[in-house]
Amino acid sequence: MDTDGKTAFEEPPCSTSQLSNYLWRDKPDEDKWADCVHCGMCLEACPTYEITGQEQHSPRGRVHLIKAVAEGKLEVSEPFTDPVFACLDCKACTTACPADVDVGGLIEEARGQIRQAMPLTGWRKGVSRFFLHGLFPHPGRLQFFGNLLKFYQKSGVQTLVRKTGMLKAMPEHLELMEAVMPEVQEPIRKKYKHETVVKADTESKREIAFFSGCVMDVMFSDVNESTINVLTRNGNDVAVPQNQTCCGALHVHAGDRDMGRKLAKQNMEAFKQADTVVGNAAGCGCMLKEYPELFREVDTEWREKAEAFAEKVVDVSKYLHDTGYDKPTAELNTRLTYHDACHLAHGQGVRQEPREILLDVPGVEMVPMENADRCCGSAGIYNITNPEMAEDVLESKMKNVPEEVEMISMGNPGCMLQMAMGVKKYGRSANVVHTVQLLDWAYQKEEEQRRQE
Amino acid sequence: MITADVWKELTSILPADHVQEQKTAETRYGNDGQVLVFPRTEEEIAAILTFASTAEKKVNVCGCGSKRGLGGTEDTADILLSTASFRGIKEHSVGDMTIFVKPGTPFRELQDYLASHGQKLPIDPIHAENATIGGVIAANESGPKRLAYGSARDLVIGLRVAYANGEIIRTGGKVVKNVAGYDMNKLFVGSMGTLGVITEIGLKLRPLPEHESLVLLSFPEGDIDDIQAFSEKLMKSRMEPVSLELLTPALAETLTGDASFTLAAALEDVASSVFYQEDYIRNIQPANARLSILNVEEAGAFWERFQHTFALDTSEQHQGTEVLVKIGVQHSDVLEVLKEGEREALCEGGHGGMGHGLCQLHLKGDKKQLADSISSLREAVEEKGGYLVVQHASLALRREVSVWGEPPAHFFLMEGIKTKIDPQRTLNPKRFVGGL
Amino acid sequence: MRRKKRLQTNDKHIKNLAAIVGEKEILFHKEDLTAYENDGFTIHSYLPKAVVFPKNTEETAEIVSYLSRNDLPFLARGAGTGLSGGAVPLNGEVIISLVKMKRLLNVDLKNRCAVVEPGYVNLTLTNSISDKGYYYAPDPSSQYCCTIGGNVAENAGGAHCLKYGVTTNHILGLEVVTPDGAIIEIGKNGIMDVPGYDLLGILTGSEGTLGIVTKITVRILTHPEEKKTVLAYFDDVADGSQAVSDIVSEGIVPAALEMMDGTAIEAVESAAYPVGHPKDIEALLLIEVDGISAGIEEQINKILDVCEKRNVRSVKVAEDEQERARWWANRKTGFGAMGAISPDYLVQDGVIPRSTLPQVLGRIREISQEYGLRIANIFHAGDGNLHPLILFDSRIPGETDKALEAGSACLQACADVGGSITGEHGVGIEKREEMRFVFSDKEIEAQTNIREVFNPYYLLNAGKLFPSPGRCGEVKKEEKAAASK
Repeated sequence: MDTDGKTAFEEPPCSTSQLSNYLWRDKPDEDKWADCVHCGMCLEACPTYEITGQEQHSPRGRVHLIKAVAEGKLEVSEPFTDPVFACLDCKACTTACPADVDVGGLIEEARGQIRQAMPLTGWRKGVSRFFLHGLFPHPGRLQFFGNLLKFYQKSGVQTLVRKTGMLKAMPEHLELMEAVMPEVQEPIRKKYKHETVVKADTESKREIAFFSGCVMDVMFSDVNESTINVLTRNGNDVAVPQNQTCCGALHVHAGDRDMGRKLAKQNMEAFKQADTVVGNAAGCGCMLKEYPELFREVDTEWREKAEAFAEKVVDVSKYLHDTGYDKPTAELNTRLTYHDACHLAHGQGVRQEPREILLDVPGVEMVPMENADRCCGSAGIYNITNPEMAEDVLESKMKNVPEEVEMISMGNPGCMLQMAMGVKKYGRSANVVHTVQLLDWAYQKEEEQRRQE
Repeated sequence: MITADVWKELTSILPADHVQEQKTAETRYGNDGQVLVFPRTEEEIAAILTFASTAEKKVNVCGCGSKRGLGGTEDTADILLSTASFRGIKEHSVGDMTIFVKPGTPFRELQDYLASHGQKLPIDPIHAENATIGGVIAANESGPKRLAYGSARDLVIGLRVAYANGEIIRTGGKVVKNVAGYDMNKLFVGSMGTLGVITEIGLKLRPLPEHESLVLLSFPEGDIDDIQAFSEKLMKSRMEPVSLELLTPALAETLTGDASFTLAAALEDVASSVFYQEDYIRNIQPANARLSILNVEEAGAFWERFQHTFALDTSEQHQGTEVLVKIGVQHSDVLEVLKEGEREALCEGGHGGMGHGLCQLHLKGDKKQLADSISSLREAVEEKGGYLVVQHASLALRREVSVWGEPPAHFFLMEGIKTKIDPQRTLNPKRFVGGL
Repeated sequence: MRRKKRLQTNDKHIKNLAAIVGEKEILFHKEDLTAYENDGFTIHSYLPKAVVFPKNTEETAEIVSYLSRNDLPFLARGAGTGLSGGAVPLNGEVIISLVKMKRLLNVDLKNRCAVVEPGYVNLTLTNSISDKGYYYAPDPSSQYCCTIGGNVAENAGGAHCLKYGVTTNHILGLEVVTPDGAIIEIGKNGIMDVPGYDLLGILTGSEGTLGIVTKITVRILTHPEEKKTVLAYFDDVADGSQAVSDIVSEGIVPAALEMMDGTAIEAVESAAYPVGHPKDIEALLLIEVDGISAGIEEQINKILDVCEKRNVRSVKVAEDEQERARWWANRKTGFGAMGAISPDYLVQDGVIPRSTLPQVLGRIREISQEYGLRIANIFHAGDGNLHPLILFDSRIPGETDKALEAGSACLQACADVGGSITGEHGVGIEKREEMRFVFSDKEIEAQTNIREVFNPYYLLNAGKLFPSPGRCGEVKKEEKAAASK
């Protein structure tokens, strides 16, 4: 333990944690591991345990290690970091756990401790700072980056790069990622820059605020576009608060909880006026709902605000399901399967709603996927930071994707990118789509048919 | 010849009328003793064994002698300990469906007693009319209904066992589910008395079924191959026959008068379920098979006859030369084994469980013929990965052929167990596999 | 994840073991090993020397033979869900983890058997043959994650063993690596009654002290044609337990007959799978009957009658598979659910003759009062297998000791009515001393004699299952107190 660490002490140690090797505030929460009785029900749910078969890479193993540090049996060190950072944050263990142990919360708190005890150095630090601090929280920069990508894709440089095989110099997983990168279009936050509220198509019944996401809005602006279309089509006025920012999930997953708190505060302010905050990225939605956790130990006032805010957040599929939507009449003849994004199924308990929406689209045939709620390996930027594990997890996922489907539907952009890589890597042909896109397409087709009549 | 000190010692343990000198010079089935003792209590058994091991005497153990023809290459030992006088029910907890009995209790008597309480011990060994419960357990006997109810090893919950040195050991307990320590019951069930004398047996019981019937399906000669397909279909269905025993034509003739391969599917359950299953079988029966359904009484009478089919006479006066072999194969090979039996000239009949793979064949002939027949059958069975045990044969024949077949590669462990428990090899010498 | 794990060690044994299994298949850093200091029994923690992950029988045999030659203690571990500490490395063992040997090697429907490797998960077997109409009967509550190898070691039971028997009734063959590294095969092709002593029987339930199982042939069964499940609420525990006896006396052999008391209900209702049980009842019974559809109704009616006679508050039959599954999920996650109402729990596993149920439950209530600890009961009432769950908080000084003592007292209560100290969880390290409640020194010696035949140098899973010879009660108490610190 470095001595600088000790000076970071912000609170006097209380009697029960004298032995603890966690030295900063916002420590892993004792009450969370007290719920764990080490029964092992989480083992089979955990993708990293499935791949490694090693218990330090299992939920109860990680909880045990986090507890061991608090009991002073272990120190915050490199070998401790390994299992804690190999967690995908998929929360499947939370679903499996009979006692509802919040493993994810513990992991993130532990990561916070690790990052303070052992700040990143070298290129990792550079990469982390570039993405997490330099890029995601800044819509302008992201858009600029998007434009660069767009230029790259449109100008012929992409074609050139692909032809020359320059990509071969990149690590395989990045090369694959480049190959499946969606075509960058205009972000909705740019598009609707001058409108505070996008009005409902017909009579407006409700008003909601839309959380557009940061990367989502640049890389998957078509999904955002579809989301707004579907919402306005069903009588919702959609506000897109301009000062909203990145949800902070990636920062929190990476142990940068201070930045997480900063972004959380900004978002809570941005959405102060809204009664309902609708998102279409499961990962972001889940993070927004978990803001109270960030302020658990450090700030009561903000924790209460965060609790109120979390109540307002809802995934678009659940929102549509709960408030009602027009069943499209146009047929989309397609055979598809549905992948449960971890942060939708395990994180928000939304499983049935998106399936029902899909089945309400005429002509959709749903082929069930085995282990549909098993993580795809995307897990935020896990596929960039832990490529080997992410690939193994993806391989296992792709084995479960039924052969005969034309589309794989899901509710999270990270999964979409990862699944697209899977499709490419394993020579499959299915298109990867967001659930609301299908609904949007059906509405569009319906419009078209109406126009032609 | 028995020496005076042995006599004196034994008569000090037991009343004189419970100690007999065995007069016959040569016995037909062996496994005899120069002096025959009939202890009436566990203490007497312990005392006899303590004496025997101290005096380095060998002890054979039997109940009523129905398994004298099973295993062993020795004519006689110093003492033959019979549990026939050590009988009766020690404790029957009707509500708990458990019973604790003394080993010499006749199997039949036990079943009759239980029936009067609406319960049964679900084991149906053949020729059990003279068997004691101790013998049935020591030989891990079972019958056609093993398909549903398992065998002795699945039903024993606790034992008291007298070791060769006279020590009494309890294994298991009084409850139906128990994993305290090693599952020592298993060691003694089926160990042919080579590890200890069982002095008390605790068993799990079942309620008598509310209703039962027996479906017989005979297959004409040209349609024998339908048997396999039908059996598989029934086993794969969700019906729950308690037996699916295939009888060879010869045995079927004795039992039903119809000399063709016959399947005997017993049904035991509430009446509505039994009728439902009868209908089910009727609906899937192969076109040319003949089906008959025996009601409760008829079924009872059938199983009664079945029990006696191979009424092996173990008395010394018996002159016939006969052999009963037990064959274990995979379920899917039972038909082949019985066909093989049919082809065998000496085979008087046989049966095998299509759902559990255990078969019995009854052979008659002279010693040489029988020995040849056993080895050719064994060869055929071993080719299928199975085994053959000579379940009943004269001592002379047992000395000629291997009763248990070749010991397995891990025989050293069995030998180790025997050596640990009975280092002087006092009990049932050379009775079991590999001369254990 | 570290990309490339280099073997940073000077320990020659670690190096040699790594040479057998490969560098990626061995753990030896303290941090990694810490995840292996417990199984499902968390009161005693011991660090292993290393954890190795063999891929097949040959590697397992090679590891065992190396360890045995070098006098290093070792033990086998599956998913580590055991509740009695059987996989805890008391002596700093090398743990041989069998979780990577998890293939389904063969399914033979005609002969109704399947061959699996020891790391194969119990429920996965049922899931993979279910579409063909078959299943594997033993269903311990941990079946979602426990391995069949572990089930063999513990002779695992489960809710449905009342009708279908425990693991030992379903094992047809084993491939075993003996403690000196030899590979033996017991039983072949699922054929029954192979002549000789019943080594399958003695190995099953030997808690990993006689050999390491590397291949298992199990019996598989066809699904019953129909299942019906009844849920009955009782205001009085005594009525509930009487109903249990009555059902069995009616000649019904239920597939499962489970009971939960009020405290247990509180836990499951505040955990992950609440069903909506009333909070003010003293006991509930979960009764499942299966078999031929035509006969089920009759049995269900009998059961309903019995419950009525025993003053049931309300009783209902599951309407569909979903409702049934919900009831079972609620029951099967019962132990883990204790986490929701108590930081720690100690589960006991006594067995009693069914007829003594009311008496023993009364005694357990007294014990709860004597020790001032709450005791929840979730148990397999049909076969008298009690699971008193003693709730405590290890952070309160002295409470762990109290819990251990209360647990022991519960077992004494079971032994006093002629019962057993464990029905399915095994003795492990937890109940070694309590073995004396049911066996004399001679009887324990008879068992350790068997161990000596298989495991003469006592390197395999030493210190489990049996009390140390000649220990008196005082020493035991001290040991437990020390362990809880």
